[in-house]
Amino acid sequence: MPTNREYSNDHIETKKRETALHFVLLKKLNRLSHIRCKKSRDATNEAKQRIDQYHLQLQNLLYETMHLEKEITKCLEFKSKDEEIELVSVEEFYEEAPSDISKPETTKEDQHQLRLARLDWELEQRKMLAQKLKESETSKDQLDKEIKTQQEYLENLQPKLTSILQSTKPVQEYLGMPFDQIREQHQIAGHLPHPLYVLYMQTDAYRQACDKKLEVKIEGDIEAAKSMKSTPELFADVEDSDSDQEEQEKKSSVLTFFHLTYFLNEIYPGDNGNTSPNAANQYELRRLGLGEFNQYIKETGKPYLWAQWLSGSENMQQTIKRLRRRIKSRLSLLKQLASLERGIIPLAPEAMSLFPTKIVAKLASWKRSTYEDFCVLPYTEELISNGLAKESDIFFTATMDRGSAKMTAQIVMTSDYPAVAPLLLVSLQWQTERSALNDINIQEMEEEVNVHYKEMIIHKSHDQILANQLQRLLMCFDVYLETETQNAEEGPKEISKKSLC
Amino acid sequence: MDRDLAARRQLHTTIFDHCYSPCGKYIAAANNYGQIAVFSLSAALAPEASEATWKPVFIFEASEDGAIFTLASTDTLLISGGNGPIKAWKWADILSKSPRVVWSLNIPKKGPFSQPEINSIVLNTEEDKSEVFAACGDNNIYVWDLESGQQKITLSGHDNYVHSLAVKNGNTCASASEDGTVKIWDTRSPSDAVHSIEPYKNELCARPKFGKWLGCVAMDTTDDWLVCGGGPSLSLWHLRSLTATTMFDTPGACQQCVMFHDDSIISAGSKGYINHWSVNGEQRMEVPCTPSSVFSLSYNSASNNCKVLSATGNSSKLDIFTNFGYKAFSFTFSQV
Repeated sequence: MPTNREYSNDHIETKKRETALHFVLLKKLNRLSHIRCKKSRDATNEAKQRIDQYHLQLQNLLYETMHLEKEITKCLEFKSKDEEIELVSVEEFYEEAPSDISKPETTKEDQHQLRLARLDWELEQRKMLAQKLKESETSKDQLDKEIKTQQEYLENLQPKLTSILQSTKPVQEYLGMPFDQIREQHQIAGHLPHPLYVLYMQTDAYRQACDKKLEVKIEGDIEAAKSMKSTPELFADVEDSDSDQEEQEKKSSVLTFFHLTYFLNEIYPGDNGNTSPNAANQYELRRLGLGEFNQYIKETGKPYLWAQWLSGSENMQQTIKRLRRRIKSRLSLLKQLASLERGIIPLAPEAMSLFPTKIVAKLASWKRSTYEDFCVLPYTEELISNGLAKESDIFFTATMDRGSAKMTAQIVMTSDYPAVAPLLLVSLQWQTERSALNDINIQEMEEEVNVHYKEMIIHKSHDQILANQLQRLLMCFDVYLETETQNAEEGPKEISKKSLC
Repeated sequence: MDRDLAARRQLHTTIFDHCYSPCGKYIAAANNYGQIAVFSLSAALAPEASEATWKPVFIFEASEDGAIFTLASTDTLLISGGNGPIKAWKWADILSKSPRVVWSLNIPKKGPFSQPEINSIVLNTEEDKSEVFAACGDNNIYVWDLESGQQKITLSGHDNYVHSLAVKNGNTCASASEDGTVKIWDTRSPSDAVHSIEPYKNELCARPKFGKWLGCVAMDTTDDWLVCGGGPSLSLWHLRSLTATTMFDTPGACQQCVMFHDDSIISAGSKGYINHWSVNGEQRMEVPCTPSSVFSLSYNSASNNCKVLSATGNSSKLDIFTNFGYKAFSFTFSQV
């Protein structure tokens, strides 16, 4: 046993030693590993730093290139003032410029020099032209002065000539030959545009031949006519000594002819009814074919058509009849208008039966209106687009009232009145603003007077139509107000049931 | 001068009503001068259609007594009513441009001077019946049997003109009148109205400033819903409980025509808009149209290719809506 113990002691001892040795070894290894770890960490750090440095360098370089590129584009985009100047072409430049400016030996090679030389040449040329302009202006002033003196001379001549002519007057009168006047008229007529000239000559001939009461006159700005030969602003006026109707119209340019002849149309037949078969007939034809004619004017020019119309005549009887009727209705219209302006609707006694005896609404005012005023109203748009109201029509505004309700009627009258009945458009102010656009009843009122006007024609006479239409409108106005009050439940009943049956 | 008169007539044209042909390819429209115009819808909807197709195919004078207020169409006939008697034409004759009155019905006269106008005609073809209902200016509703041509029933009870009618399930009829009531009738017991609705007394929809008159009524075919409007706002009523459930607000406008379409209600009136509503009162769309006062709305379901909504009113235009959201084009009731 002891040996055994000894042995085991020994054994333990050796084991202890071994253990100690192992510990030492373990320690060493531990240290070594620490050292290695540190070393590798250092190496990594170093490498990382190096990379950072390179990266920074790269950034700098990239920035530099970007900056340089920007500079380059800036340079490329640079624009000089001289590019805007229009220069003569290179070939022309070499041909025209003197060699001390063009310097072909240097400029042929060098584009920049060429450009400079061309600019020089341009400057030179512009200077020259400016000089020329100045010279021309002075010469123009001189000519102006000269013309003025000439003109003065001519103007001084005129009174002298008139005094000479004046002095011959007693002789002419004594001999009973008003050559002077005729000659003057004919001279003026010479300035008329061709068609009007023909018209003038024809009327004048007619005057001499058949009707001494007719007076043919030309009025207008003769000086202006002389200066603008092509489109003279002229006014021919045929006055009728019998008629009490007088109208004045003065229009220029293309449409003149229409207004003019239209005007003639009205006045002419008033002369005892013995109108010139020729002229009157043509006017009538023209009146009938009006629509097409207006379009023709712009395309073909009027003289030829005009002359054609003046060249033929037919159907005289009917034309005269028509013209007479026209005059009659025109006079009736004038009477109606005068009465309307005083606030009275001029009803013919035979028309009374068309309307109830008691109408409460009253005509408050009656005024002439214009196409422009008419156009701005919101409810007229459709009418204009349908061609039912044109600039050549005559426009009136009538207001009617009953209590606080006020009705405004726009009346469109064509030049063909009364063959074409007047067209009435209505708006109503009563609590709210109403028109055909927002109130169906107003539309029906308009329909009543505009479409069913035939019911209001008595004895086939259209002459009273305007008055009858207005009276009908008043009646409708009454009915409208009374039915509206009846429908509404609330509020004061301002309009009582007076004329409703 | 005649041309001028035609232009004036066109300017003042009002198309009171329109309806579709049984094939769905044509529209008939009637105006205030007693004329009926036929337009070809299929031609106007064809891909190569030009503006020339917007003119009437054919116009004929249908009434010597003035305006036609209402049109209705059966499988073979076009029926018109207005001032004067109810007249019927064969569609086939009209399309071959030789219209001939097949039959006409006169309203029973009360006195020598009474000539009441017909404001609305509705056909009742359910339950093997074929009846014509006519709402008249003498406060009555007359019913004719088309087979025999006999006037069968008179529904009287309104105190003023009857403006609009709606019929459903063969026996129920609703009528809207100037006197402010909608009366609901059972044709099996025609002596008295079953119910009477008075929207002008209902605070939900009453609008005293526009009066109490009612211009339009429509009934849902499946459920118990009725919609009516006029002076009072358009309102939806439940038929069994007779209560107003929804109000469709149209400030300043009085509704003059209304219809149910799918799950929505379409109405129009004295302003130039067509309103699309959902049943709970929400306005889905407000679509502008040409007339400033719309009198008639119609949906064409007869032809698969021509499913459109159309509207007419105080204008010579008949607006067509291929898509409900905007006007596609307008037929013109021209006077040439």
